[in-house]
Amino acid sequence: MAEFAFASHVKVGENRYRERYGLDFEDFQVGQVFKHRPGQSVSQQDNVEESMDSLNQAMLHFDERYAAQTEWKRPLMVSTITLQRMIGLSWKTFAKKKRLLGWADLTMTFPVFGGDTLYAESEIKATEEWPSDPSCGKLTVVTRGTNQDGKSVCTMEYDLLVYKRGHAPFEQANY
Amino acid sequence: MSNLYSHRKLAENVFIEIAGVNFEDFEVGQIFEHRPGRTFTAEENRQHIMRSADLSMRNADFFYNEQAYGGEQCIGETWILTVVTALTTKTFNKVVANLGWKKVQFPTPVHPGDTVYAESEILNKRESQSRPDQALLHVKTRAVNQRGEEVCSFERRLLIYKRGLGPYESAGY
Repeated sequence: MAEFAFASHVKVGENRYRERYGLDFEDFQVGQVFKHRPGQSVSQQDNVEESMDSLNQAMLHFDERYAAQTEWKRPLMVSTITLQRMIGLSWKTFAKKKRLLGWADLTMTFPVFGGDTLYAESEIKATEEWPSDPSCGKLTVVTRGTNQDGKSVCTMEYDLLVYKRGHAPFEQANY
Repeated sequence: MSNLYSHRKLAENVFIEIAGVNFEDFEVGQIFEHRPGRTFTAEENRQHIMRSADLSMRNADFFYNEQAYGGEQCIGETWILTVVTALTTKTFNKVVANLGWKKVQFPTPVHPGDTVYAESEILNKRESQSRPDQALLHVKTRAVNQRGEEVCSFERRLLIYKRGLGPYESAGY
């Protein structure tokens, strides 16, 4: 029998349910692990567009003839695509984040290529009060990224400010 | 004058553009001012966050954003880190792979319309034992906005090819 946790909908009336996103700061506890779904596939076209959008001149991302002569024989995905996807894929659990304070560590552990599919999971390492903004608390999170073969591609440790229960104006904004 | 060149002479009056600085030309303590700077816009920020699978109300719903964040549109931290890292790629173009970042900080928020400029200091360099054609650079990058306020800083380790190694001439570079 499956066990369930955390409400996906708020009952706002008889037979009426409103979708909700993100856990409140009070819901997080050290040691919890969240497996984020869905995953997302990345393509070589994403790689080219990302490089040009961000002014990334490193041709190993977009010159296939050059990349064919590197040890991987094909373009390497821009590592900042991977980090954007890791934070993006975790949005449903962390939707009540106010901001990301910074990364203590961000390690790329294995190359990512067009056609790979990325999955993320996050572990809560610490929870702390945040006196300069009492509407929030601080979470220290380790997020690990894996590809379709379950191989680790990225690990990152960062601090998030997450709204406490009732502190963000969710109801006024119809959430 | 500098001993860093942008072109190599192929024949009389024929020059090919060079990509990046060789490992051997980096010295600890050098600081590279990266150009161009780059201006952030609200719409590209929204697109990049959504393409990262983040479909949250923070980006999708401006009314919510206004209620929750006081209407202050801030550029996402992942997009700032992406752009600041990308701005360093003219100098660090001979990259084999980016190994990782440490101490990534965002001292001042970036708003739509802000322009950032990056500069990098070489903290350390060493040969790679396991990869004789490659070497490791340890750099510190900081970015400021148009008012000179620091908006992002980090340390980064990357592998780069050594002089004459890597697939440059055979790939037409």
